[in-house]
Amino acid sequence: MASPRQRAARLRYVQYAVLVLVLLAIALLADWDQLKRAFWDWEVVKAQFPDVITIALKNTIIYTACGFAFGLVLGLVLALMRLSSVGPYRWIATGVIELFRGLPALVVFIALSVGFNLAFPDRQIPFGNLGIVTLALGLVGGAYMAETIRAGIQAVPKGQMEAARSLGMSHSRAMISVVVPQAFRIILPPLTNELILLTKDSSLVYILGLALEDYELTKFGREGMNTAANLTPIIVIGLCYLLITVPLSIVVRRMESRAERAR
Amino acid sequence: MTTHPTPDGATDRSAAAIDVQDLHKSFGDNEVLKGIDFHVGHGQVVCVIGPSGSGKSTLLRCVNMLETPTSGRIFVEGDEITDRDADVDKLRSRIGMVFQQFNLFPHMTVLRNLTIAQQKVKGRKKDEAVEVARANLAKVGLAEKESAYPAHLSGGQSQRVAIARALSMSPDMMLFDEPTSALDPELVGDVLAVMKDLASEGMTMMVVTHEMGFAREVGDNLVFMDDGVIVEEGDPRHVLGDPQHERTQSFLSKVL
Ligand SMILES: Nc1ncnc2c1ncn2[C@@H]1O[C@H](COP(=O)(O)OP(=O)(O)O)[C@@H](O)[C@H]1O
Ligand SMILES: [Mg+2]
Repeated sequence: MASPRQRAARLRYVQYAVLVLVLLAIALLADWDQLKRAFWDWEVVKAQFPDVITIALKNTIIYTACGFAFGLVLGLVLALMRLSSVGPYRWIATGVIELFRGLPALVVFIALSVGFNLAFPDRQIPFGNLGIVTLALGLVGGAYMAETIRAGIQAVPKGQMEAARSLGMSHSRAMISVVVPQAFRIILPPLTNELILLTKDSSLVYILGLALEDYELTKFGREGMNTAANLTPIIVIGLCYLLITVPLSIVVRRMESRAERAR
Repeated sequence: MTTHPTPDGATDRSAAAIDVQDLHKSFGDNEVLKGIDFHVGHGQVVCVIGPSGSGKSTLLRCVNMLETPTSGRIFVEGDEITDRDADVDKLRSRIGMVFQQFNLFPHMTVLRNLTIAQQKVKGRKKDEAVEVARANLAKVGLAEKESAYPAHLSGGQSQRVAIARALSMSPDMMLFDEPTSALDPELVGDVLAVMKDLASEGMTMMVVTHEMGFAREVGDNLVFMDDGVIVEEGDPRHVLGDPQHERTQSFLSKVL
């Protein structure tokens, strides 16, 4: 009989062997020239610049930032309503949260853009497409963030509120100055994760029908792909997304390991 | 040997700093305070002792309405804090409270801990608030810690900052809930020394404590609570030296 140690070592060798075989198979079976033509054509890559940065990446960041900012405010308001002692506030907040967490973001985009025009034919959402993106991303993100923020507020020790009240602060003053700032420190990692999700959801703006200067990364990549009959533009914009999201992920992981150590 | 004056009308209840009348408090079916009557005169130091769970913290927390009494009335400097229309926030700003767990605000510097309520509640200008804060930090011997964050303070330093924070509101009286129970033994003395100074300056104080030495030396009055009632109260030397009730005797024999 092999000892558990020997068995574990054998298992590890098997895993390495499988990995090597798979890599070999890919290297031998793939038609590298064809792949390169389809996925990374240098001429097509060059043609993406500078617009992929100056228009597409810029717009993705703007849409995401506006949606996230609105979502953060909305999430905080919904969280405070959820914690309110006034019943109707709690019910309304719960309803809004469940509604927008339960719907696909795409549905929210459609409902907002088409629905608003149908409901108010002679009015416009302010700031045009940016207004719709901000509302739609903010509603979806805010519904998620509300629950995170609420959990954060509840994770702040009760003694903090009591100390603030014992100094004569009102409930809302204590919330603003003492509890909420501490809650946000606790929930910074999940909020950053939400920012990553919203970055990707901002691609849904394509549904609005955009002019070139409003293209964000996904729309820009799709148009480029159609023109070039080649997947290279998609690879380029994919790398642009990773340029935003990977650093954010690293920041989250840093914060989490620091919180782990502080415990 | 206390030197501060006991007011002539120690029995004249309208002149009391704290006056508690027939106080009851229940949590659900659990009646924790079963009719408490007592008062604290101006400049008096009242120590409250009793076994864990006897309702000492609840009593103290009722005095500044962190807990809402089920029935009974509480007057602070003649104002009824239990009145429906009382401005509880304003009354609280006149009552300093010190907690067992310090409850400093961890996201603020020591100085900010001391100034924020002065500015937001008392409406003091920043300069004045800082001046008051520095004076109180100096008083508790921590002037050099004003820009430190609470995480970098020892337990004893934290509790002294918490006392300075409460004092910075210029309160009429101070409540202490086991202020030294969370401290390492060698740090207890510093905190008790600060409290002793406060008492000798004539601060009205209500102190829940297990420090019998402090109660004997500094207290004007000692209250022994058990199971939600005041069993015995009086001069600390008498209560500690010659307890009249069997429950007091049995408690003291365990802790002394
Ligand atoms: N917020 C609360 N909810 C329910 N029960 C409580 C609460 N606070 C205190 N109690 C109960 O009241 C009793 C007295 O508690 P406390 O006043 O903290 O006693 P002490 O300070 O003398 O140890 C305990 O039985 C405790 O479980
Ligand atoms: Mg207690």
